[in-house]
Amino acid sequence: MLGFLLRRLAASLLLLLLVLTFTFFFLRLLPGGPIQFFEGQKVLTPDQQRNLERIYGLDRPLPEQYLRWIESVARWDWGTSLSQQRPVSTVLREALPATAALALAALAVEYGVGLLLGIASALRRGSAFDHAIRVVTLLLYSQPAFWLGLMAILLFSYVWPVLPAGHMRSVDADLMSPAGRLLDLARHLLLPALVTGLSTAGGSTRFLRASLIEVMSQDYIRTARAKGLSERRVVWVHGLRNAVAPVIQVFAISLPLLLSGVLIVEVVFSWPGLGRLTFLAISTRDYPLILGSTALSATLVILGNLLADMLHALVDPRVRDA
Amino acid sequence: MRRAPLFRALALAAALLAGCRQGPERAAGPEAAPRKPHRGGTVVTGWTAEPGGVNSLILPSTQVNNEMLFRMFLHLAEEQADFQQHPATLKPQLAESWDWSPDHKTLTFHLRKDVVWSDGVPVTADDVRWTWQMQTHPDVAWELADAKRWMTDVEVVDPHTVRFHFSRVYAKQLLDANEGPVFPKHAWETLPVKEWRRNGDWFRQHLVVDGPFTIASWQPQQQIVLQRNDRYYEKEFPYLDRVVMRQVPDQASGFTQLLSGDLDYLPQIAPADAPRVKASPRLQLIAYWFNIYVAVVWNTENPLFRDPEVRRALTLAIDRKTIVDTLLGSYGKVADSPILTSVWAHDPSIHPWPYDPREAARVLAAKGWKDTNGDGILDKDGKPFAFELITNTGNQLRSDATVMIQNQLQKVGIRATPRQIEFNTLAKQTMSGQFEASMMGYTIDTSLDLRSNYHSEAIQEGSNYPRYRNPQVDHLIETAAAQPEIKAELPYLHQIQQIVHREQPVTFLWESQRLTAVNKRVQNVHPTATFSFFNLKEWWVAP
Repeated sequence: MLGFLLRRLAASLLLLLLVLTFTFFFLRLLPGGPIQFFEGQKVLTPDQQRNLERIYGLDRPLPEQYLRWIESVARWDWGTSLSQQRPVSTVLREALPATAALALAALAVEYGVGLLLGIASALRRGSAFDHAIRVVTLLLYSQPAFWLGLMAILLFSYVWPVLPAGHMRSVDADLMSPAGRLLDLARHLLLPALVTGLSTAGGSTRFLRASLIEVMSQDYIRTARAKGLSERRVVWVHGLRNAVAPVIQVFAISLPLLLSGVLIVEVVFSWPGLGRLTFLAISTRDYPLILGSTALSATLVILGNLLADMLHALVDPRVRDA
Repeated sequence: MRRAPLFRALALAAALLAGCRQGPERAAGPEAAPRKPHRGGTVVTGWTAEPGGVNSLILPSTQVNNEMLFRMFLHLAEEQADFQQHPATLKPQLAESWDWSPDHKTLTFHLRKDVVWSDGVPVTADDVRWTWQMQTHPDVAWELADAKRWMTDVEVVDPHTVRFHFSRVYAKQLLDANEGPVFPKHAWETLPVKEWRRNGDWFRQHLVVDGPFTIASWQPQQQIVLQRNDRYYEKEFPYLDRVVMRQVPDQASGFTQLLSGDLDYLPQIAPADAPRVKASPRLQLIAYWFNIYVAVVWNTENPLFRDPEVRRALTLAIDRKTIVDTLLGSYGKVADSPILTSVWAHDPSIHPWPYDPREAARVLAAKGWKDTNGDGILDKDGKPFAFELITNTGNQLRSDATVMIQNQLQKVGIRATPRQIEFNTLAKQTMSGQFEASMMGYTIDTSLDLRSNYHSEAIQEGSNYPRYRNPQVDHLIETAAAQPEIKAELPYLHQIQQIVHREQPVTFLWESQRLTAVNKRVQNVHPTATFSFFNLKEWWVAP
């Protein structure tokens, strides 16, 4: 298991380096640059632009900039955000908890709903309930997350104003008790987490349904039933354990999708995480912040994949022995 | 690109639904509020951009940065919002008075003695001199440093007297001396200048202010809470305890939050949303002429647009009134000059060129543009009169206008292809001359300095986007700038406007009103063309 883990770690690091190198050079192909302009802002003279490029080291040849950047990253210095004049690591550290909270909540919704509906649907295969689940989950799955987000805001913040339309906390959250603040956070988290989770739950529902139907037709399930085991035990212990292994693989594949969904939903709900930050960083060509944000997102995806591989290895001995 | 109309449609739908719920609140009108200012309370405002920090010397001079920082740091004098009626007047702020030397090259400010930083340290002439040193320091790279280029020294005469020395006499001397707020030397000089642009947070951590507000909390991407600076020298101000600057993803989302009561104030709403605000018993609409005009910039170095008569024909072929009526309604008017029609220096003899497609066709035919191959597009020497009209993404108004212009020009046989590109890219392309025609917004400086937009030297070093060259205009701009006061520039400004109007390096499209929406519980709100928060210290809310 250790060897497996080390091999996967080494491959992950190499992948991360490739992603960052590609992003570093690809960014420079985009038109515009970080010495940027806003409408209404005074236009910088060429001398001023050159001076700023000197200060930020953007006047150096590109390979030199790349080597300097790699060198500082090796020292765990991710540089300075050009749009915020603050260390990239600080900016990311502020945004990461919000994204992590939203991603975890969305994951809980996705797999909680996916597991329940998948099992229910598989056990009532061909029934009206099964069809209804299929239609609803397909409908949710086929909607872009930002559209679902806007609909959710319309319904739950305006038609039935029960949840906030955005942000992570209320204006007066500072004045609340710790329990009040937690409740306030939960209220703000509910809508974006539901939107992100439900928009992807369709995939896990359908996958688990298919997997469980296949497993439930296996001989060992018939044997378990023949032994007189209760149907609940047959399904949850013998059926689900085997049906869930492929779902873990889907989990790994769906992580980037989930993360990108979270990033889009963050913009719709003014959620102060990596999504809005990355969006603003790209629009201002804030190279160090884009690279830092990319590194963080890529690391999360790679770690997620690694985790999925390990979980898969745990539930399927053939994987870790391979 | 596609989200803007979507948001707007949703905002409208939400607004309609929200409106149904708001009916019973009609009784709570402004009449119920007492007229006497009340001290205390919180106002929540919505902003689509977030301030970048607290040290404006290392920040881009954007609207939201200035809105916040100018309420935290004082200037020597406060530029008043009267630049439309006459040259902007300056009201004493940090300086209680100022006087000139006989040769008009030395300007002496006498500082107030009762102004202190929020840590109790007095504001002195040392702060003013140090601020000037930082403003002009190459490693600080302040983007407005150009305003200080004619100042040779800022001399501390005594703790409350400071003297600005100029190398020449010109119209904007006082405005330039006053450019930028004064910063706290004692609190900020300990950080080496080379570190400034890498440590924006440091200034926030070492924040002391002398203005009416300071920062109580800053939650990135969420909100900034401003609170009263108890050491502010005008003891009766500010009336409000707190002002929350809440981030909203875009104008449409901000509008829905305003309707739902989450926000009290939105500095800018779309004209299409104005009726909803007017219909709301809780909200008030404030409309005022803004200091921006929108124009189609013709690249005069491109053979298509080199001839002033052809450019004028293009203007004649564009029905600007229909564009304004359709897109802005009563909140806009056709622009006709680089100086806004609402500003004192606008030449009243200038009027918009009429919409006259027949005359446009005649001029173009006289210039050799004819449809020789019957494809509906004029051509000359085998080349069609076709070009790309670019504008920035995220601005539905301009995007719609480019499509209308495309249709109108089509009627005279000109093919304009609209294309939207991201603002930063648009700015780069337009500044480097890599475009044919571009729809841009021009912000008018309160000093009415036309140099950066129309002087030939500004092709390389400014925002002369049409790359317009006219030695007579250059000369007039220089002569105007050399006057001892802005008022004396008037005859030169009129001549410049007449030439630009005749030669049309840009087709002036519209000037528009800015529409601000505010909850009626917030009193005494007077946004200006330059600042939404102009009189923030005087805002108050009914208890």
